[in-house]
Amino acid sequence: MEICDLTALEISRRLRSREISALEVLESCLARVRQVDGQPGSLDSGAGDNEDARKVHAFITLMEDAACSQALALDKELATGGDPGPLAGIPITVKDIFCVRDTPSTAASRILSSFHAPYSATPVERMLKAGAVLLGKVNLDEFTYGSSSESSAFQPSPRNPWDPSRVPGGSSGGSAASVAAGEAYLSLGTDTAGSIRQPAAFCGVVGMKPTYGRVSRYGLIAFGSSLDCPGPLARSAADAALMMNAIAGVDARDATSANVPVPDYLAALQGRIEGMRIGLSPDYFQITFPDAESGAYNQQALPAEMEAAVLRAAEIYRGMGAQIIPDVPLPNTRYGIPAYFVISRVEAASNLHRYDGVKYGYRTPQPVSELKELYRRSRAEGFGLQPKLRILMGMYVSAAQYSEQYYHRALRVRTLIRGDFEEAFDPHGKYRLDALLTPTTPSTAFPMGDVYGDSVLMQYADQLTVPANHAGIPGISFPGGIAADGLPLGIQLLGPDFSEDILLRLAHAYEQASADADWRAVRPKVLKEA
Amino acid sequence: MGNYEAVIGLETHIQLNTLTKIFCACRADSWEDAPNSNICPVCSGLPGVLPVLNQSVVEKAVLLAQAVRAEIHAISFFDRKNYFYPDLPKGYQISQFDKPLATGGYIELPIPRTADPAGKGYARHVRIHKLHIEEDAGKTRRQGERRLVDFNRCGVPLVEMVTEPDLRSAEEAAQYVIRLRQLLRWLGISEADMEKGNLRCDANVSIRPADSLVLNEKTEIKNVNSIDSLREAVRKEIDRQTRQVEAGKVIQAWTLEWDEDAGVLRKMRSKESEADYRYFREPDLLSLEISPQWKERILKGFPELPLDRRQRLMAQYRLPEYDADILTLERGLADYFEATAAAYGGDPKKVSNWLMNDVARLLSELDLQPAELRLTPVFLAQLLKLVDSGTINITTGKALLQTVHDSGKAPQVLVQEGGLAQVKDDAAIREVCLRVIAQHPDEVDAYRGGKHTLIGWFVGQVMRETGGKADAKQAGTVLSELLQ
Repeated sequence: MEICDLTALEISRRLRSREISALEVLESCLARVRQVDGQPGSLDSGAGDNEDARKVHAFITLMEDAACSQALALDKELATGGDPGPLAGIPITVKDIFCVRDTPSTAASRILSSFHAPYSATPVERMLKAGAVLLGKVNLDEFTYGSSSESSAFQPSPRNPWDPSRVPGGSSGGSAASVAAGEAYLSLGTDTAGSIRQPAAFCGVVGMKPTYGRVSRYGLIAFGSSLDCPGPLARSAADAALMMNAIAGVDARDATSANVPVPDYLAALQGRIEGMRIGLSPDYFQITFPDAESGAYNQQALPAEMEAAVLRAAEIYRGMGAQIIPDVPLPNTRYGIPAYFVISRVEAASNLHRYDGVKYGYRTPQPVSELKELYRRSRAEGFGLQPKLRILMGMYVSAAQYSEQYYHRALRVRTLIRGDFEEAFDPHGKYRLDALLTPTTPSTAFPMGDVYGDSVLMQYADQLTVPANHAGIPGISFPGGIAADGLPLGIQLLGPDFSEDILLRLAHAYEQASADADWRAVRPKVLKEA
Repeated sequence: MGNYEAVIGLETHIQLNTLTKIFCACRADSWEDAPNSNICPVCSGLPGVLPVLNQSVVEKAVLLAQAVRAEIHAISFFDRKNYFYPDLPKGYQISQFDKPLATGGYIELPIPRTADPAGKGYARHVRIHKLHIEEDAGKTRRQGERRLVDFNRCGVPLVEMVTEPDLRSAEEAAQYVIRLRQLLRWLGISEADMEKGNLRCDANVSIRPADSLVLNEKTEIKNVNSIDSLREAVRKEIDRQTRQVEAGKVIQAWTLEWDEDAGVLRKMRSKESEADYRYFREPDLLSLEISPQWKERILKGFPELPLDRRQRLMAQYRLPEYDADILTLERGLADYFEATAAAYGGDPKKVSNWLMNDVARLLSELDLQPAELRLTPVFLAQLLKLVDSGTINITTGKALLQTVHDSGKAPQVLVQEGGLAQVKDDAAIREVCLRVIAQHPDEVDAYRGGKHTLIGWFVGQVMRETGGKADAKQAGTVLSELLQ
């Protein structure tokens, strides 16, 4: 085990006790990047060779020099007895959907490939202020539109460190892969329908989608503005708590950020589990999907090993004195994906309006005779397939003659989904849950290239994660075992608004209780080969 | 030719005079600034930025809503109005759509005698349809083959206020804007300068038979930059529609643009080609909640409105309508009038005369607001009393206005210091009169020969000799006695 494979908390302890320097930590991570990452994503990458195809490819922009200067400065400060902050010396990556001052901020799209942000996103700024060392910006689906990271305009797209022929998930695929492969300790991702939790599950790391408004969206290049949540990807619940301490809290620059006190998430890990009420729901052990022709709803059970992993976790919590509440109904879960398709696309199409070739970013190099042609060509050449699909659908369902039928209906569905959770978490209600325990995804990581396939489990990859985005509630995914295909399984906990502390505590407790399990010793393939 | 009636509704965009823009910390006013020198990531629509609502925009909009007696909604929402244009950096305008800040309300619009074809004057009840908050867009300009964009104006706070189709002539439309401008300045929420674009107006115009209540197809007139242009553009459009209808043609729902230089209306587009703006709730802003407490704070000290005050000045001080109109052009002038009238205690009409003529001239020469004058209402009242008592004559009094302002000293003090008091001593005046008579034998002969109008000339000579201090009336009496 290398330095880069330790947890952020352990690194922090060693740095503070001067057992290790920030530069050494950074060197260890950089060595790992050189070893496993291969060529970074770029717009005009040729076909990689076979060896390159077995690499992780988490990065778009590796910021080696800037990271070294940062580490040296931190070492100096530590040497003079200064306190450079709770994340001091910890190398992090940032999903390239966040603006970071003077770095390319690409959103993995050709249309922003030349854009250098003149300002930094609030959560990035807060991590840097806490002393984190920014190692680079990592790859994702173009504008976060996807669940595999394959739609990035910057190829090669990230691979799953557990098996490079598999996707890392998405859209925070580069974030999850970089943390799983030991390239960085923490990564800042975003979750609009599961984009933190799903790649965390696929790559065997911890990913948290905080309550909407808990972490500022300022500087996050928007997808679905009413759904987007920045959050941590980490190797343990405790590391995620450490990062939440830095990024959570109201921000004057984001009117939708919540002015709610932020607890000390690290301290909260130690609280009691005994007496907590943890629910299980049949609606989360199956995928329910409409038949395209008839509109009737079909059901497909999840793979048995997914359900088994969740039930195993339930037993562990029961052993700690928690009460397991079975059969909690969340009947509107099935409408989560269709409603999401409408709402997110309406917001996405509008959010993409600003990329017009006029002010910044890509402008067609071809001569144009008039303004509309400049718009059309710049957008046609600058956007990839996924943004175009979202624009088409978003424009359609928000058109004056359709918005009642689609958009406003979707908003009502959203209210129903929120209602399901309110009932389940109501402290005076029938269920009075502290958390809901579910699988994170219907499957383990799927093969590269299969993303446009017709597997229902893949099409509905977000069905178990998206309800939390509709409702605005927090969720966490953490590793819950290794499936028969050798890939990690993710377990999800959902809780009421601002219950991040409880979710982190439960995830942490599970980690402690399963620390000696055999599957915990299994390492990602790229690390075994390295 | 049939008898037609015009049906006009106005949509005004009012630039609020806040310190900063509506969603960022840039200065709101960038008049005459270099292009793109007053912008930031938020108002220029960079990726990832978010709007944060300026509270003072809400407060000023609430004042206007209250002033037009609109219903101010406890909860309203912001929406995105999506369209592509280079001066709109986000590709959508943040506005309010189906749940605006305020709805309803009215302005009781006095139409002056001079603007009434019947020469009597009347009041027009103009209902307000809605009032909402939004951000302004930037500007584009052509330079040869190139099109240049200036984002300075992006994010400048606007209130859009829309009337019902209650106006019936071009003159009424003009009167509406005149009264709105007065109201905005009175409330101190906008500079309301049409030339600078602080107050912009679009007019919806249709016509119908005079005895009908139907609403016919209307046209929309854009880009009128002054009250005169509005009056002229609407008049021309009414004439055009009348000719069309007379010729048996149908009015089409066009959008027309007023060409200021040529003085003509040009067709911009037909309504069918109007964009679908795909309005939806702005997810980056919370709903706008105006709590009763906040509303109370905003409306604390809400002023008496200009039209109400105009009525009161007429009733309470018995001023003619003309005087009341002039004195309520600006709130500061009305305040000044009432303060002076109170300190003076004499005939308010006399105060009004001094204000409308001499003080108004002083204000315009010095380019000052009434409250900035060192000739305070109390000083002006003292000055009027000095004239009333005959201590100084009117000429001296008028000259003193400027002196009081320049020195900041009380009129009495200046009169004493400068020996300006009227010469009323009979012997002194008689002496000057005798001298004047002695010096002008020809005129004396002429007078005595019957040309009695020369008395005024003689008085003038006496005044000149005394440096204007003689009591003119007394001098006249002495002179006519001596010239017998």
